[in-house]
Amino acid sequence: MNRSAPIDWGLRAYVGLTFAFVFAPIAASFVFSFNVDRFPSLPLGGFSLTWYQQVAADPLVWEGLRNTLIVGVTVAVLATALGFGAAYTDFRYKFFGKSLYLALALLPPTIPVVILGLAMLAFLSNIGLSGGVHSIVIAHVVMCAPFAMAIIRLRLSQMDPSLEAAAWNLGASQWVAMRHVILPFCRPAIFAALFITMAVSFDEFAVSWFVSGLNETLPVKVLGFLQGQVSPKINVIGTFVFLTSMTLVILAQVLLMKRSAGRASGQ
Amino acid sequence: MTHETVPSGTRRHFLKGATALAGGLLATPFLSRRAFAEPVELTMLAWYGHAEPDVVAAFEAENNVKFKPKYYTGGDNMLGLIAQSPPGTFDVILSDAEYVQQLNAAGYIEELDPADYRFDEYFPEFQQFPGHWQDGKLYSVLTRFGFLGVAYNTDAITEQEASTYNVYWSEKLTGKVGHFDWHLPNLGQISLLQGNPSPYDIDEDAWDALQEKMLTLRPQIGGFFDYGGTFSSLQNGQMLAMAGIGDWITGTLERNGAKVRSVIPEEGGLQWTESFSIGKGTAKADLAKKWIQYITSAQGQVKSANMVAYPALIPNKAGWELLAKETPEEAKRQGMLLDQPNNAVEMIRQGRIQYRQLPVQQSLEDWNDFWSDYKGS
Amino acid sequence: MTDINEPGLGAGPALPRREPLGQVRAGGARMRKTVSVYGLTFSLPMLVWQLVFFLAPLLFLIALSFWTVRNFRMEPDFNPDNWARMLGRSVFWEAYLRTLTLSTAAAIVTSALAFPASYAIAFKLSETARRWAIFLMVIPFFTSYLVRVYSWQIFLSDNGIINSALAEVGLGPFAMLNSTFGTMVGYLTLCLPLVILLQLFSLVFVDRNLVEAAHNLRCGRLRTVFEVVVPAARVGLTIAALFCFILTFGDFVSPLYLGGGDPPTLSILITDTTKSGQQWPRAAVVALVMIATLLVIAFAAVRFAYKERGR
Repeated sequence: MNRSAPIDWGLRAYVGLTFAFVFAPIAASFVFSFNVDRFPSLPLGGFSLTWYQQVAADPLVWEGLRNTLIVGVTVAVLATALGFGAAYTDFRYKFFGKSLYLALALLPPTIPVVILGLAMLAFLSNIGLSGGVHSIVIAHVVMCAPFAMAIIRLRLSQMDPSLEAAAWNLGASQWVAMRHVILPFCRPAIFAALFITMAVSFDEFAVSWFVSGLNETLPVKVLGFLQGQVSPKINVIGTFVFLTSMTLVILAQVLLMKRSAGRASGQ
Repeated sequence: MTHETVPSGTRRHFLKGATALAGGLLATPFLSRRAFAEPVELTMLAWYGHAEPDVVAAFEAENNVKFKPKYYTGGDNMLGLIAQSPPGTFDVILSDAEYVQQLNAAGYIEELDPADYRFDEYFPEFQQFPGHWQDGKLYSVLTRFGFLGVAYNTDAITEQEASTYNVYWSEKLTGKVGHFDWHLPNLGQISLLQGNPSPYDIDEDAWDALQEKMLTLRPQIGGFFDYGGTFSSLQNGQMLAMAGIGDWITGTLERNGAKVRSVIPEEGGLQWTESFSIGKGTAKADLAKKWIQYITSAQGQVKSANMVAYPALIPNKAGWELLAKETPEEAKRQGMLLDQPNNAVEMIRQGRIQYRQLPVQQSLEDWNDFWSDYKGS
Repeated sequence: MTDINEPGLGAGPALPRREPLGQVRAGGARMRKTVSVYGLTFSLPMLVWQLVFFLAPLLFLIALSFWTVRNFRMEPDFNPDNWARMLGRSVFWEAYLRTLTLSTAAAIVTSALAFPASYAIAFKLSETARRWAIFLMVIPFFTSYLVRVYSWQIFLSDNGIINSALAEVGLGPFAMLNSTFGTMVGYLTLCLPLVILLQLFSLVFVDRNLVEAAHNLRCGRLRTVFEVVVPAARVGLTIAALFCFILTFGDFVSPLYLGGGDPPTLSILITDTTKSGQQWPRAAVVALVMIATLLVIAFAAVRFAYKERGR
């Protein structure tokens, strides 16, 4: 094997650098959320928890968080389900109008969000489905399902197609083959799709501003703060969201490790 | 295993209790606000800050009302939102004077009865403010206003230097001048510099001259900023001067210790106004009216002038008197003391202030199209 | 180590096996002659959802581009003037070219910067370390993009963290904010985690046997990377670059907050157009041109990614 220690360490250091780049703004946001000054400045003004208190005391922020969570989870499940179906269809079948089907499935992310927001609001209000949490779910599933489809399709392209046929030839019905061959193979992609669609929904503010009306989500609130009242409250919300996701991710990691350990010992 | 022996009833009971506890914990911020009888909800469509506790808490407590705000970040998004929302979604609407005209032309606001409001307490200049009236009918009540001039970093340039729009072309500000990203106030300022007596009512020649002059400013410009960007750029010193804004931004920054100020230059300044209207089709017209009456009363006006999100001047004379008693420092800073030599109303009377409005002889599109061209040049 | 039950790409050329939705297949399983419920269960939901909730708004958008604005109110019309006017403006084409260039640059730069990292994570880290790396890379997704961009201003401004640190060593100050550099930093913030993850997705499943075979045949390290690993992971690399392109093409946050809106991209142009007094129809024209462009590029990229390896 061509192994070279310096190159290996160089690469690992590069990974570290990448993480530093990605997390630098998050770290800065965390630090400045404690800044007593309203506007970020160097050197720091002084330590203060006042912004945390203000955010915690604002019921509209809590409402926004609640809406964001409900929407995020619902969208993740729905979008991944739809995306899986579409990816599998693309993988296995051909039919008349397939290109159109794919275009329809992949089109939403290409539409600029401000325009999409207006168009969705126009449509949803005409059928009486605007202004609520359900409106955001509908719009977000439209926007996120293509991501799920792309990720799962990517995974399916790595599968040897004769596996499924082998299962059929051994007497399994299509449903059984799906359950025991396709789904397990796609499991990492399905998880990835769940996470990514939830993340996209979590952070989406433009379309949400239009269709949610008075029932806003957290990112819409952040946009409002950014464009209406610049203050460390923005950093507080950012930090809070970061800590929550960190916790969820660590939990997931622990759970997965336990399960694989259990499986290993169970064998 | 012992788990199975727990009777299901108890488990359900426990789950219910746990859920109730969790729900209670999550709802705590809500409970503190809704202690007694269910307050009536009033929806407000406005710029950020108009439904925050510092402005509305007293009114809410007295009338058992709870405001539900929808904050917008641009008048055009606001119009788009109203256009596509079911009528009656928004009870009160706050907008700039230019947008009142558009709201009215499109039929989104109710007609108002002037007798309901305290115009007699207003300074005479504000009693029949153009844009809020149409064919003698009232559609929107003026509640606050402000001036636009030269916003500058006090460490970089002196007030003397800043007292002319020509400072934007100054060599030491190359790349350090920013634009608030909206054509109307920026073009208006340059129009004033050109000496147009009515900056928004100019003929073809004046319009061509204005565009030419504007293009010469482009090399000086460091960036085009929205609200948040304007704040950060001025505050961290990235921009040393900002065109198209006034005290509504620098006042807030000043309050937080930043070294910035706005000054009305010798060529004159522009005036923006905000007003409240009642949304068409609202079910709570009476309560909406009550709110407008409150915010235009002396107490409400003081709250408006001192609004945390951004300060403003107020049109109610009784409000000036109350302000001088309650927060004399702020009254002096903004120029709202009745005995001040160059207070806000005096400036208007001296003709140093022109109202910001939609262009008269060109279409709004012409101005906006030029602004896009200017940005890309 | 990859799971022994997982097929690698070394299992032979991938044969396209697309069968028609409705025909009988030869092969012992019980099949219905008509369109199968099975097939429809998977294909229909997406179709129905998008038809109901997406097609209508999309058609509305197309129709909107022909409407007229009168008295600040949009009125249904069939007015091709919007198209003529918008497509006739040089500002539009300049912004179009600019956005195209920026997004292409972003896709290339992000892919290039991400590749060493994803390569390292896929090949040089242990299983546990890799899992942690992936999870850590997922976290930025859940932190607000707006907040992260806003925070970058503290770093990039003339008196910011980076310039202050450089001043200590006597360098700078460098103008990083309100420039194309700032916009690129913003684009990287938007796309880097996603691109790394998508690249990783393909790299992790590259058959290690291929790499080892190349080394056994005395192929140099770099050559192995470019001639064995990259082609094997082509799908993931292309899809990652495509996502980056699409996301940056429509983004207005980075050009506005870190680029200073100077010069304007198409996304900024859309927002600007609406300020002409409710000119959503003209904005819709810009949007439709953007959609068409992205569709063409997406189809081309997907085709390239999934094309059969000519062997």
